[in-house]
Amino acid sequence: MTSSPSDTQAHPLQSFADRVAEAVGGTAEIHFDTVKVTVPAESWVEAHTRARDDLDLVFFSWLSATDWANDVQAGEPLRDEVEERVELISALSDLTDGRIVLFSTSLDKDEPRIPSLVDVYAGANWHEREAHEMFGIDFEGHPNLIHLYLPDAFIGNPLRKSYPLLSREVKPWPGTVDVEAMPGRADEPSTENPES
Amino acid sequence: MDLLADLFSNFWVSLGGKLLLVAMMIPLVGMVIGFAEMKLSAKMQYRVGPYFAGGRWGWAQLIADGVKFFQKEDIIPDDADRPVFKFAPILVLIGTVALLVVIPFGPSLIFRDLDVGIFYALAISSLSTIGILMAGWSSANKYSLIGGLRAAGQLIAYELPLVLAVVGSVILAGTMSMQGIVEAQIEAGYPYVIFQVVGFVIFMIAALAELTRIPFDMPIAESELVMGYLTEYSGFRFLFFFLAEFANMFTMSAIAATLFLGGYWLPGIPEDVLEFAGPIILIAKVFLLVFVMIWFRWTFPRFREDQLQGLAWRWLVPLAFVNIAVTATLKVLL
Amino acid sequence: MTIDADTIHHLSEVQVSVELQTEDMTLNIGPQHPSTHGVLRLVARVDGERCFDVQPVIGYMHRGYEKLSEVRTYPQVTTIINRIDWVSGYANEVPFIVAAEKLMELEVPERAQFIRLILTEMARISSHLVFNASYPLELGAATPLFFALRERERVLDLLESVTGGRFHPNFNRIGGVKPAYGSGSTTRKQLQDLPAGFLGGTRNAMEKVLESVDQLEALVADNEIILARTRGVGVLPPEVAAAYGVSGPNLRASGVPFDLRKTQDYLPYDRFDFKVVTAENGDCWDRWWVRLQEIRESAKIIQQAIDSIPSGDLQAKVPKVIKVPKGETYVRAENPKGEMGYYLVSDGGQGPYRLKIRSASFSNLSILPWILEGILVPDIIAIMGSLDFVLGDVDR
Repeated sequence: MTSSPSDTQAHPLQSFADRVAEAVGGTAEIHFDTVKVTVPAESWVEAHTRARDDLDLVFFSWLSATDWANDVQAGEPLRDEVEERVELISALSDLTDGRIVLFSTSLDKDEPRIPSLVDVYAGANWHEREAHEMFGIDFEGHPNLIHLYLPDAFIGNPLRKSYPLLSREVKPWPGTVDVEAMPGRADEPSTENPES
Repeated sequence: MDLLADLFSNFWVSLGGKLLLVAMMIPLVGMVIGFAEMKLSAKMQYRVGPYFAGGRWGWAQLIADGVKFFQKEDIIPDDADRPVFKFAPILVLIGTVALLVVIPFGPSLIFRDLDVGIFYALAISSLSTIGILMAGWSSANKYSLIGGLRAAGQLIAYELPLVLAVVGSVILAGTMSMQGIVEAQIEAGYPYVIFQVVGFVIFMIAALAELTRIPFDMPIAESELVMGYLTEYSGFRFLFFFLAEFANMFTMSAIAATLFLGGYWLPGIPEDVLEFAGPIILIAKVFLLVFVMIWFRWTFPRFREDQLQGLAWRWLVPLAFVNIAVTATLKVLL
Repeated sequence: MTIDADTIHHLSEVQVSVELQTEDMTLNIGPQHPSTHGVLRLVARVDGERCFDVQPVIGYMHRGYEKLSEVRTYPQVTTIINRIDWVSGYANEVPFIVAAEKLMELEVPERAQFIRLILTEMARISSHLVFNASYPLELGAATPLFFALRERERVLDLLESVTGGRFHPNFNRIGGVKPAYGSGSTTRKQLQDLPAGFLGGTRNAMEKVLESVDQLEALVADNEIILARTRGVGVLPPEVAAAYGVSGPNLRASGVPFDLRKTQDYLPYDRFDFKVVTAENGDCWDRWWVRLQEIRESAKIIQQAIDSIPSGDLQAKVPKVIKVPKGETYVRAENPKGEMGYYLVSDGGQGPYRLKIRSASFSNLSILPWILEGILVPDIIAIMGSLDFVLGDVDR
């Protein structure tokens, strides 16, 4: 549950979340036992440096992004309209209690760019390459921003919501299939409900 | 009988007979030892090994493998150096076959008793080294090249301990002729391994390294270099290498058995029985040593190249020198 | 010119200072190679036997799981995610299901949680046995392969008896585990719980696994050549490991006692008594040794879990068509290879809006350019094998 002042009992991670938010200069929320700290894009590298040095969050877990878009080519569209942006998320953890913090910032949806984290965490190298090819985010100062998974000649950013899945274009969702019933059993209820 | 004796007293007929015998022995020995390796390794790994070929024991497995290799397509890489590529396996096989000439199977059962028997054996076995280098270089494949370079370093490094280890036996026997060494052991009444343990161990280790068997398997290094210098070889060329390895196991073990274990002689057996029982005794000793080689192959991982070289230069060569010095001193004093 | 002592001295010096012109060679290790654990390509620049620049090229097994999961419903996603780290199939499903259940605020029955825990630990044993089989093989010893895989067959047979699959169980359902139906039934009536004899059989199998770990240890641990090949090779300092995100046995072998089973509550590990195995040096031998000991700890956990498994339902009551309410969460778990996590963003629909899969081998592999600098070619194989990654886990 997201924390709110009306909760009778504060979430056990609330004090930790507040400490992190204060140290890096962002706002903290707790989503279903996950601490998420939103920082402005200008202080992205600074926040990570402070997290590593002051808060002992030395373990670099992952870095990726979410594309908030209203026009979804593959998958279900959003129920409510959102402000379109690319949300960059990184996850840092400490090595004693296993507390993990997600750092989030918002980037421009058409030309997302942000300084790179490789000087703070060496492991950000490959994660940023992946985010670059999947979302088109330009990481300034990255030593080797080339494709990681996709072939060099690949055009487009697959994980953007505007990128369609070709197999879904060719054929609609094959989940509910019109299967011809076994001979003599046309009256039985069909069992291809994809639930379990 | 007289007719046969007359026939074989002709030099050319007996030469042809000996050549035929040697030519038949190599594939036969190779197949038997290869089959032993398959079955023994299976036993050590909770498996059964060859089972179907030729009935319950799978004895025809290697015959089937031989036929299979012969009927395969002869593939030579485009960039390969063709004459060198084709000649390399033959050279390796020559090095092995030529070793059989000086091995005494019985008091008068030796192809040719050279006065410099052991010297000749060690010299001719280095022909295989050149063959391996040729294979690695001519394959036009970086993995083969690395395998060939490793082979160059390893095989040359282990020639030294191999040679130095036999000097102890030669000193004790007083002759380099293989038949002479066995006769010296018969006269002394004990196999030389009793005093030449160090030499024997060094010889076996160096022999394993010359054969590029695990644990000295860097030139091949299946998990790193795919097959090392053998990568581009297929079909009957690969069969030559394959047979050469197993036949070389036989010949190296035979040399070790002759120099250290008493060859075709067992204490207590009279001379005339040795004419018939000699080959059997020698082959039994050889198979004992071959069993140990197979056992090592499936138990140990492989050495790294620099560790391998360190073992040769820093341990085996000095030990072999010490062995020679001690043997010579004691021979003079006693 | 007169040849005197000075000239000769000068000439000899000139000889020595002329360097031999050698070229370095670019060696492609992979993508088809016996030792790269899948389709991995290493572009290595080597000078003789010493390599001084290794760049991994990955992506040969990229299947696009994150995009695929955006067009699937939650039960359909579980059919594909156990193929991420295919050696430990069951362990991949658990964090995802836990994330979805967290967003739905579902209470999972205890019996289901215990079964999940038992199967996850069996997946861990299976994965570590594969490591123990393949790592000595890469060093050249062929025999531990057969010993380890023979034991693994016991575990896989048990997994198959309860889930129906050896490698890709697909046994988790939102709310618990899959209830067993009778064969040929087209109704939803739950006929039986776990297969008869599963718990007893597992207990016996764990005892055999413990014996075989002793055997493997005797065969491999004191072998001088293995010690020579792995001791001091590929030392990974803990600070570097943390910066790159290396987790799991690799991190613990460098001396960091960090185990997500002790710190996270995605499964009821706090009820059981087990050690966090660490080692001191962080070299290849330590990484091998830590995994071997973890098999022992997992067998102990399974035995304790079987002894104390409660009775109850296998799955909580969930609606037929599952819609997970809006929200986001990140659940991390201790997979055999390291930390596996799922960052799930849900919009209230039948499928995820965004699923980020944090796989252990991706981070473990990213350390290769750092750790492989300036070492010999055979050590590349030794170090890569000791990191124990699987390409499906790297590429997703």
